[in-house]
Amino acid sequence: MGKVIVITSGKGGVGKTTTTANIGTGLAALGQKVCLVDTDIGLRNLDVVMGLENRIVYDLLHVVEGQCRLRQALIKDKQFGDRLVLLPAPQTREKDAVTPEQMKELMKELREEYDFVLLDSPAGIEHGFKNAVAGADHAIVVTTPEIAAVRDADRIIGLLEAAELYDPQLIINRVRPGMVRRGDMMSIGDIDDILAIEILGVVPDDQDIIVSTNRGEPVVTNPKSRAGQAYRNIARRLLGEEVPLMNLEERKVMHWFKRLLSGEAQ
Amino acid sequence: MNTQLCAIKGSRDGLVVTISDAARFAEVLTALEEQLIASESFFQGSTVKLLVRQGTLSPSQLDQIERIITRYGMNLDRQPPSWGLTAAAREAPVPAARSEVEHNTLLVKRTIRSGQRLHYDGNVVVMGDVNPGAEVVCTGDILVLGSLRGVAHAGAEGKTDAIVFAFRLEPTQLRIAHVISRAPDEKLPQPQGPEIARVVGDRIQLSVYNH
Repeated sequence: MGKVIVITSGKGGVGKTTTTANIGTGLAALGQKVCLVDTDIGLRNLDVVMGLENRIVYDLLHVVEGQCRLRQALIKDKQFGDRLVLLPAPQTREKDAVTPEQMKELMKELREEYDFVLLDSPAGIEHGFKNAVAGADHAIVVTTPEIAAVRDADRIIGLLEAAELYDPQLIINRVRPGMVRRGDMMSIGDIDDILAIEILGVVPDDQDIIVSTNRGEPVVTNPKSRAGQAYRNIARRLLGEEVPLMNLEERKVMHWFKRLLSGEAQ
Repeated sequence: MNTQLCAIKGSRDGLVVTISDAARFAEVLTALEEQLIASESFFQGSTVKLLVRQGTLSPSQLDQIERIITRYGMNLDRQPPSWGLTAAAREAPVPAARSEVEHNTLLVKRTIRSGQRLHYDGNVVVMGDVNPGAEVVCTGDILVLGSLRGVAHAGAEGKTDAIVFAFRLEPTQLRIAHVISRAPDEKLPQPQGPEIARVVGDRIQLSVYNH
């Protein structure tokens, strides 16, 4: 029996889809069988981030409406094949085309087959969120170190509790250690102080993310990327390994050199 | 218009329905209903007092008014407002003392998060935090054994001696009875220990809690 994890945030644009793609790929790289489900009906983009857009024939709605078999709709990953599959969201339909009950049924079926089912939730707290949460037994909340994002994360944690998803874990995305040091950005401590839930990982702000997203190759497979390292750590923690939080400052000097060489230092 | 016959206004005593002439009772009822419809659910959950400027309301007329007010989700407090007492208002039946209710205390053993609201008739003790975006409203005192960063309204029905206490008192907004104060726009140094807020004069004053 696999684990069904919903990845959610409340606020849009904090990196839910990137997080889902990277954790999924990271888990597959560690030998797990993973299924990614895009529940953002009408605004899908997990397929784009995974670089699988051109392979979509059937989607989640076709499956729940019985127009195709589940197996037909699952798209195999370019790198990991059978071990990492994607169930895309319909692009042309309304959000309320799927019901929470249908999602529960679907999750029951998927968890038989896969070790991890990761649900990429849409932004907001309406119908799409309720669908995403319906079949999950665990939640990961993504936030960035901004007051608005943290506020929405707090709201989401409350709503998750109401949906009987207790003890969600937190990923703090796009942290810029330099800004935190100067007091211009909320620190991990500030965020922990308000949300007070277990921190699953801290992901530094990294230009590699943009590059890899545009290429459709999750950054977690890039051994040189700092964000990739953070996602690899998160995947290992999900498998129960004790991995200490990455020291975001450790390559400060190297980083400074890099910036000097690339002419950004002034 | 009938609006002069009957008006709903907020005051330092809470919501007050002022009736200018009790003799035109039928018109008063229509006017009241019209105003309640216009206000939609704005007043829902609040308690209203009655002030009759001229004439007297019989107990059965009072009952009629209470029915209308209840239908719109409010409660009628038959105790007249403390100001502008008229002979007629003083004759209104006085309900049993409410002190019993005020001693009720709700113990909440969790953090109240953004978007969550807590309303209670009595005192509230939160063993956890009240986060920004959360709201605690009660008719008595509020004690937060943690950080209070959201909105707290103590003595919501006009109890000006209500207090708000927190281990870390950094609210977005504090209200005690009819007095409202908000956090200053510039950042303040974090409070070093437990603090207590109470109304002094017409302002809310924070002080370090000394036992």
